[in-house]
Amino acid sequence: MESVKPYDFMVKPQQQKDWIDGRGNFIAFAFFLGGISGGLFLASAYFDNLLGMFISWLLAGAMGVSYMIHLTHPMRFWRMLMKPKTSWIARGFSFIMLFVGFTTLLLIIRQWAPDATGAIVTLKVLAGIFAFAQSIYTGFAVSYVSAIKVWNSAIVPVLFVTCGLTGGLAILLAVMMGQDSADIVALENVIRVVLIALAVIIGVYLWNTTYSSSSARDAVKRLIGGSLAPLFWIGVFLFGIVVPVVISLATIGSDDPAAGLMITAVISEIIGGLALRFAILKAGMYTPLLPAD
Amino acid sequence: MRWGMAIELKRCIGCNACVLACKAEHFLPPDIFWNRVLIGEKGKYPNVSKLIYTVRCNQCADPKCVKVCPTGATQQREDGIVWIDDTKCVGCRYCMVACPYQMRSMYEDPDKNYFPGQELTEHEKIGKTLYPHTPGVVQKCVFCKERIDSGIAAGLTPGVDRDATPACVIVCPTKAIHFGDLDDPNSEINRIIKEKHGHPFHPEFDTQPSINFID
Repeated sequence: MESVKPYDFMVKPQQQKDWIDGRGNFIAFAFFLGGISGGLFLASAYFDNLLGMFISWLLAGAMGVSYMIHLTHPMRFWRMLMKPKTSWIARGFSFIMLFVGFTTLLLIIRQWAPDATGAIVTLKVLAGIFAFAQSIYTGFAVSYVSAIKVWNSAIVPVLFVTCGLTGGLAILLAVMMGQDSADIVALENVIRVVLIALAVIIGVYLWNTTYSSSSARDAVKRLIGGSLAPLFWIGVFLFGIVVPVVISLATIGSDDPAAGLMITAVISEIIGGLALRFAILKAGMYTPLLPAD
Repeated sequence: MRWGMAIELKRCIGCNACVLACKAEHFLPPDIFWNRVLIGEKGKYPNVSKLIYTVRCNQCADPKCVKVCPTGATQQREDGIVWIDDTKCVGCRYCMVACPYQMRSMYEDPDKNYFPGQELTEHEKIGKTLYPHTPGVVQKCVFCKERIDSGIAAGLTPGVDRDATPACVIVCPTKAIHFGDLDDPNSEINRIIKEKHGHPFHPEFDTQPSINFID
């Protein structure tokens, strides 16, 4: 990690590095995995796709692993359940545990007692609630940080959930293509709507953020025209929105779209989701303490 | 009781004695600073003012770091001092991200020494015994709570008696830093803050710092 020169410390705008450099990369990755895991579960539950739910369970586990790698004392991880009253990380960790627990029970019952409809619906609802919570808390954890104005926006949780949902829907599309499911056309319609919503939310977020403070405006400038522009325009805009939207619109009305095209859209959306998390975390800047008025 | 500081900016000459005293008092490893001297400027030529601020953890009454800590490792004592329990910190760095003053550091490399390639200095060797730092744990200024606690136990008054007062305060050659009880209306620190119009650093962060600056 490139350290800040002592004489520049908090005298010039300072980039947030604790959650993006070195081990910090893993929390960005955990946020991404949590988002797509939650989105995939919600989509899979809606389309009643068992394999999709199983993959979301695996992704939640991968999120936990990514979290553990981020921690310098991972063996004390259980302590992260101690302060859910005030800490979003503690709340999020509880959500992950509950989501994994309910989904485990759901998968077991669904596989070995498929006739227990009441239990399945109940567990699906409970797991769905915590899938949503797991997806949205990452946005709240970031937006709670009032010191970083580009993060401190009510739109961030909405953006993270929508982005997670697009990634989850994309993975479900790949799953359904493998299963040759009849619901692919319906799923594609949902994806088109969510993709457009994501593009609108990103636009509103950037526009709104430029009005919150000068440091937030500088951060947006870095995103769209500065050092983070390649990550934003290629990762978020091209892969996350343009490619999937173009493929999605090109396949309207097609009953049997080319598999290669659809896989390209799926991979592109996942790259876009990952790029969005990294772009926003990297854009975090602290306002200098001097001059103080 | 709530311990606090008042710092007279006109008296501060930016000598960094407070930074060095803190380093020595707590045997701080390389790259770890519990306090700093920020030097900036405001205005445009020819009307430029030099700004010198000695800064450290503000021991906020409403600290963001305590709220965001998922494990309860960052705690606030009854006297307002915010400290970190090394045995509870998982190293998630949420407190470091959330502190608007950026007054927290992560101690990562226990093998790093002040003179790479040479053996540890006597001071570093003593420090590893007297004031061991736990790797992978977040650190920050604790208002020299050890000095305060032992001083009070010995019947001394923090802010008045040297042995009960934070190291950065007693070492200041211009007496720019005052220490005392903010809850005591008759304390010297409250008199100084009132008479010289002390104000917190960046009150817009809304954390109610215990350190007041006097222009």
